[in-house]
Amino acid sequence: MPPLLSVERLTKYFAGLAALKDVSFEVEEGQICGLIGPNGAGKTTLFSIIAGSVSPSSGTITYSGKDVTRWKSFQAVRAGVARTHQITRPFRSMTTRQNVEIGLHFGRGPASGSTWGEVAEILEGVGLGRVADRPAASLCVGDQKRLELARTLAAKPKLLLCDEVCSGLTETEMNEVLDLLRRIRGRGTTILYVEHNMRAIMSTCDQVVVLNFGEKLTEGPPLKIQNDPAVIEAYLGKTAAD
Amino acid sequence: MRAASTQMGRFLNYRVAGWGTLLIVLGILPWFGISSNLTRLLFTALVWIIASVAWNLLGGVTGQVSFGFAVFYGLGAYAAAMGINGGLHPLAAFTISGLVAALASIFIGLPTFRLRGPYFAIATIGVSEAVRVVMTNLSFTGGASGYRIAEHGRFRPLEHYYTALGFSAVAVVISAWIHESKFGLSLQAVREDEEAAADIGVNPLKAKLMVHLLAATLTGIAGGVYARYAAYIHPQGVFGFHTSVAILLMPIIGGAGTVAGPVIGGFVYGLVQEELVAAFPQFHLLLYGALLIVIILFEPRGVTGWLGRLRGFIERIWRKSATASVG
Repeated sequence: MPPLLSVERLTKYFAGLAALKDVSFEVEEGQICGLIGPNGAGKTTLFSIIAGSVSPSSGTITYSGKDVTRWKSFQAVRAGVARTHQITRPFRSMTTRQNVEIGLHFGRGPASGSTWGEVAEILEGVGLGRVADRPAASLCVGDQKRLELARTLAAKPKLLLCDEVCSGLTETEMNEVLDLLRRIRGRGTTILYVEHNMRAIMSTCDQVVVLNFGEKLTEGPPLKIQNDPAVIEAYLGKTAAD
Repeated sequence: MRAASTQMGRFLNYRVAGWGTLLIVLGILPWFGISSNLTRLLFTALVWIIASVAWNLLGGVTGQVSFGFAVFYGLGAYAAAMGINGGLHPLAAFTISGLVAALASIFIGLPTFRLRGPYFAIATIGVSEAVRVVMTNLSFTGGASGYRIAEHGRFRPLEHYYTALGFSAVAVVISAWIHESKFGLSLQAVREDEEAAADIGVNPLKAKLMVHLLAATLTGIAGGVYARYAAYIHPQGVFGFHTSVAILLMPIIGGAGTVAGPVIGGFVYGLVQEELVAAFPQFHLLLYGALLIVIILFEPRGVTGWLGRLRGFIERIWRKSATASVG
């Protein structure tokens, strides 16, 4: 079976500076694929290109057998690729429920004409039922993270792009979110997951891609990555690897 | 869930009842022998309300502050004027007003909607001024000396009044529908965060173009209704910068992003403006400027915001006195 997503020789220059150089990898359907790397490695750029908010300088992206290299973000969402934001971006003056409703209506569409029940189900699923009618601006950081995820899930992605959903969360909150990601995958959604927190990556991912200075350093299952000297060097410096 | 939906239903019924009452009052008011001057003032206010409600859809709900609505108002005015002079029925002429303005909205929207915030606002000023200059120099519309409408038959103020009332009712219904609809949700999302909206499937450019088209159509019709009443229009008037500012000011005074706000703002502006111009021929614009600053600094929701606070205040006193009488 061909991979759900395949990225080939993706390159992106920002004003002459290469943020990504010749990055290639594949994500199989049903996987949770981690994307890690030190600060400035190009993770978020790569993400934005796949999600359609930034277009690459060169290279191709194939999703579900179609060339989608230069699609716009709303087209990506309707085809089933949706992202969350590392820094949450709720529609602040709208209620939590309305935030989710937009995702439901403008993504791959609600299951039926009446969206009330479906929205409630999504909100309960991420634990936001109790703040459904509060303005999104009034939610605490953890709830805003959940809302970011809920709104994106409402668009019913086949490939979910998660950008650091665990940053700023407490240990307990993080475990809840990771459980949620596993449940989402359990329902057949493929996940590409950018994360700084190593424990989060190691406990959820099937496959990990490591970026460093805009280039792919290595890829493989989490255990192999964890013990790879090149990865340790990239994160901690040369002497630590010795 | 059922409780919530019936509660919503009751809320909607109250609102429909409120708007219906206002419509009936305005509908029967002329039969109570109000002065011709009041009829004229109300007519003016109703025309402004159409444009104010229209601007609010783009400026208030979608957050795209345009200083260029005089373009639609003026094009609508000229289109209706020429249509009526060409022998069209007034309603057919107003339809053309709406269509011409709608067409213009696409040509203006496609390039300017690529700009954000203040840059969009500045671009609309440029477009608006360019159109005014062109219209001032266009010979077949009479250029700077303006254009006269020669309508046969007696002048019937009430016919104009009811035309304006009808179209403003239509504008309010459209606005209320948008505030409740899926389309309205996407517009609010674009106002709050355009990129985040695109990231969950909203096409921001399409949403902005569509609401711009709708707002332009309504504003064009308002211009047409005004032109037929005034029987004489000129570029410095209908295409003037002060027209754009008036159309923007009303919804902000009343409360941008709400259904009632632009209507309240339109009434306030329509009824007060003339007195202000008469009392302070030089300073009335300064007053608006000061008013705008006060509103934006202290109550961005305008009159509707003040009313909301007032209601909260009365409810608190009510509750306090109720508990006091129990205790």
